[in-house]
Amino acid sequence: MGNTLLLVMVLPVLSAPLAYLLGRKSPKTAASLISLICLIEIALLLTIAPQILNSADHKYVESYSWIPTIYASLTFFADGISLPMAIITLVLMFTATIFSVNYMQDKRGLAEYYALLALLSAGLVGVFITSNLMLFYFCWELMLVPSYFIIGEWGYREPYRAAFKFFIFTHAGAIFVLLGIGAIFMLTGNLDIFSAQVALMNAPLDLVMWILLSLTLGFAVKMAVVPFHMWLPDAHSEAPAPMSALLSGVIISAGAYAILRISLGAVLPAIAATSFGNQFLHSLSILGVISAFFGSFIALVENDVKRIIAYSSIAHMGYVLFGLSMFPYSEAIIGAVLHLVNHAVSKGLFFLSAGSLMKQLEIRDIREMGGLANKMPITAIAASTAALSIAGIPVFACFISEFIMFIGAFKAIGDDGFYILPTILMLIATVLSLAYALRYISHIFLGQAKIREAKEVPLLMKAAMLILIVIVILLGVWPTFFVELIATAKFTVLGG
Amino acid sequence: MIFLEAFLPIAIFVIFSLLTIPVTNIARIGRHKSAIMLLWFIIVFTVISMFVASLAVKYYAQMGKEPFLNLTFSSNPNRIFSSTFTIDAVSIYMAIIFTIISAITFLYSLFYIDASEPLSGRYYSLTLMITACVIGACFSGDFLTLFIFWEASAVGSGFLMLYEGSPRSIHATLKYLVMIIIASAFIVYGLSIIYGLTGTLNFWAVKQILASLKDKHLLILSFIFMATGYAIESAIVPFHMWLPDAYTTAPASSSAFLSALIDQGSYYVLLRILVYILTPPAILDWRLVLAFLSVLSMIVGNLFALIENDIKRLISYVCIADVGYNLIAITSVTSLGVMGNLYFFFVGGLTTALSFMAVGILNNAGLKTLRDLSGIGRRMPLTSLALLTGAFSFSGFPPFAGFFAKYLVFTAAIEAGLSWLALIGVLTSIVQAAYFLRLVNYMFAKKSRREDELDEPKKLLIPVLTLTITIILLGIYPTIVLKLIEPVVQQIPLIP
Repeated sequence: MGNTLLLVMVLPVLSAPLAYLLGRKSPKTAASLISLICLIEIALLLTIAPQILNSADHKYVESYSWIPTIYASLTFFADGISLPMAIITLVLMFTATIFSVNYMQDKRGLAEYYALLALLSAGLVGVFITSNLMLFYFCWELMLVPSYFIIGEWGYREPYRAAFKFFIFTHAGAIFVLLGIGAIFMLTGNLDIFSAQVALMNAPLDLVMWILLSLTLGFAVKMAVVPFHMWLPDAHSEAPAPMSALLSGVIISAGAYAILRISLGAVLPAIAATSFGNQFLHSLSILGVISAFFGSFIALVENDVKRIIAYSSIAHMGYVLFGLSMFPYSEAIIGAVLHLVNHAVSKGLFFLSAGSLMKQLEIRDIREMGGLANKMPITAIAASTAALSIAGIPVFACFISEFIMFIGAFKAIGDDGFYILPTILMLIATVLSLAYALRYISHIFLGQAKIREAKEVPLLMKAAMLILIVIVILLGVWPTFFVELIATAKFTVLGG
Repeated sequence: MIFLEAFLPIAIFVIFSLLTIPVTNIARIGRHKSAIMLLWFIIVFTVISMFVASLAVKYYAQMGKEPFLNLTFSSNPNRIFSSTFTIDAVSIYMAIIFTIISAITFLYSLFYIDASEPLSGRYYSLTLMITACVIGACFSGDFLTLFIFWEASAVGSGFLMLYEGSPRSIHATLKYLVMIIIASAFIVYGLSIIYGLTGTLNFWAVKQILASLKDKHLLILSFIFMATGYAIESAIVPFHMWLPDAYTTAPASSSAFLSALIDQGSYYVLLRILVYILTPPAILDWRLVLAFLSVLSMIVGNLFALIENDIKRLISYVCIADVGYNLIAITSVTSLGVMGNLYFFFVGGLTTALSFMAVGILNNAGLKTLRDLSGIGRRMPLTSLALLTGAFSFSGFPPFAGFFAKYLVFTAAIEAGLSWLALIGVLTSIVQAAYFLRLVNYMFAKKSRREDELDEPKKLLIPVLTLTITIILLGIYPTIVLKLIEPVVQQIPLIP
């Protein structure tokens, strides 16, 4: 199979118009088409895994000609970092799609909804599986436009307001990314991430510094770390639940992935030796700590069922940023990437369960809920699994990745005393996340029943949540597959 | 007869345009007037495109030998009134894109201006005549030929603006004509200085003599006069006042045609005459002046568009902002900049034409302000799709054609060491995204009082949707046009 990744990229793009045409007759057919395509793509990606694990350079590359004049080519590649991210994206896309069948059934314009979802999945997967900066930027923006319309058209309260905020913030960020990409092209005459990394080594230091800052600023907006987080709570809580799951699960992870792959992987090595490189990493670490505390504290006092989860996403992006800031300690990076994967699944599950609650109860304030555990058992299990995973309790997914990250942190402390304080603070922050997770569960599912009538969700919503529950526990007990995959990538990140 | 080859397309265009009036009169008598007009359109543009294509093929076949063909009435290029035509890669490229744009806008005006109106014959005829003049200006090889062709097209534009004959449009046209007359006075004065300095008006001869000029005071004076003149014609801030009035009061087909042909054509004149022939930076360093004007245009155009409520006026201000982006590319004086510029001519023309056409359809339905557009996304889906494409292409979103234009322009600026200019361009782009998103917000988010579907004129949608598809296609695969531009870029340094 010479063109697996091309198929992975092209299939969702082609399925978008098809989903639109099918969806006009019956939305269910469109949903099954998209979920089927997600499954096919997952299978295609899994066929690459052995090649990455066993080949000498742990990489899989395909290249096609596109715009030779400006060195933009359709270069698809997969390595130990991008493959898990792409797979988990598709898993979430799959569950979000089958969740949508029941969740969205009484909404109108579903043909457009599924077509936009297909485009979104093309953009999301594309970001992870390309090494050409131009194609990367295409996919980066392709994530944005469908999200805008999905949030705006099918969201809650004043959805277009939230969508507008989301769009302007992330587009402003994206423009800075574009500026950085243009500067990289100017300095190196190339748009390939890996060639750029080598060529940037000889570039003037002060320019590289500006490129690094401009790119990281753009990515950080997408990642929604404090102080660029303002768009996240609105967008994530007003979006329809499947979209929230994708937003919180993968879209902000794409920001973290881009920081790792481009800012740290390609640009930073050129100035790693200077003091600026060190200061840059330290400031990332500080931003991570601030985000973790800020997100956790607000999640602790927030009462809206979805805003709690949204703020917890900010906190967890703080963890990831903290992990990334210890670049290039391999444990920290493995931990951070694995945390992206685990957090994506857990947060996706969390948002789906919150969506189930909102769909069945039509209230959002957790103080008005209570004692729902025996009325909505599957939703309760889903929410508890997600909450405990987010809190970092063993057996559930996020524990492993946080653990690996902290191992990396202790290694880093051995070489650089700066990391002592952030590590201690981060350990404290995990306690906070346990606090808001427990508060969430006890308010909604335990205690006295405040709502008389509450029914369990329909079958497909249950199925979507069950799949994610299984994956969260599976990743918590046996993370070996992903850990091994990610571990192969440490050399590519270091530029070997 | 090589001279005839350059002259023939223009002459035939003029003959066709004169024939259009009797053809319209005949069509008006019979029952199938739109069929006859359509047939006429097909005949005219098939013949023209055959001429242009044969010219292109012939030229590219001999390109290895000589960079450009110089065609004169007499063998002595230094004779004062030796009207000259020049064919080089730039003029061929411009002729091709002007033919394409003119064909689409002409088709639109055939449907927009009803053939039974008394003056419609003259309107169609003038549209062709102006195209002939603009193409003539592209092929001209000396200042006088250029001046005559250019002013002829400007006078014709006046009539197109005036077509509806309302007091406001008369007022706006008067403003335009006065500005144009002032501009031509400036240009003629500048030209007289050039002639006094060099004793010739032929581009290449002038350039050679100016390169060895010792005392540059008079040259600076002449440059100022000519730059001001052409700045007025291309509506560079602070000489832009005529444009919003003129384009708002003109019928939509005229605005589409003029913004695409005259506007883009005038940037071509700036690029060709002022920058590369009259005074390349080696002779006179004007870069800072143009950079300053570019900044002004971007800021003023975008800020006025931001507060504008009338949709047609909004698009007019975007045209002004577009001048600014074009000027960035002109300022950079790199091969990438030239490439971006030439690409921008085409894409900018297509995008403005598309936006004005879509706005024309909306205006016909009685919708003028942003508030009127509330909920139009559901009531006129295809028209709003077209306007959406225009908006996203303007604000530089992949995968729409405008993205590559902006990317090339900004990269060129960075390459030329004008990072600050690129940064201002980037920041104003965010403003641009903001007001276009405001427009999208009105179209899709706001609910209109009426929910019924409005009739979308099927005929008008043909050119509009053709443009929409072209813009998306060029956004995904710009190689088609970039391949045409490549020889131009290689040739620019060849010009003596």
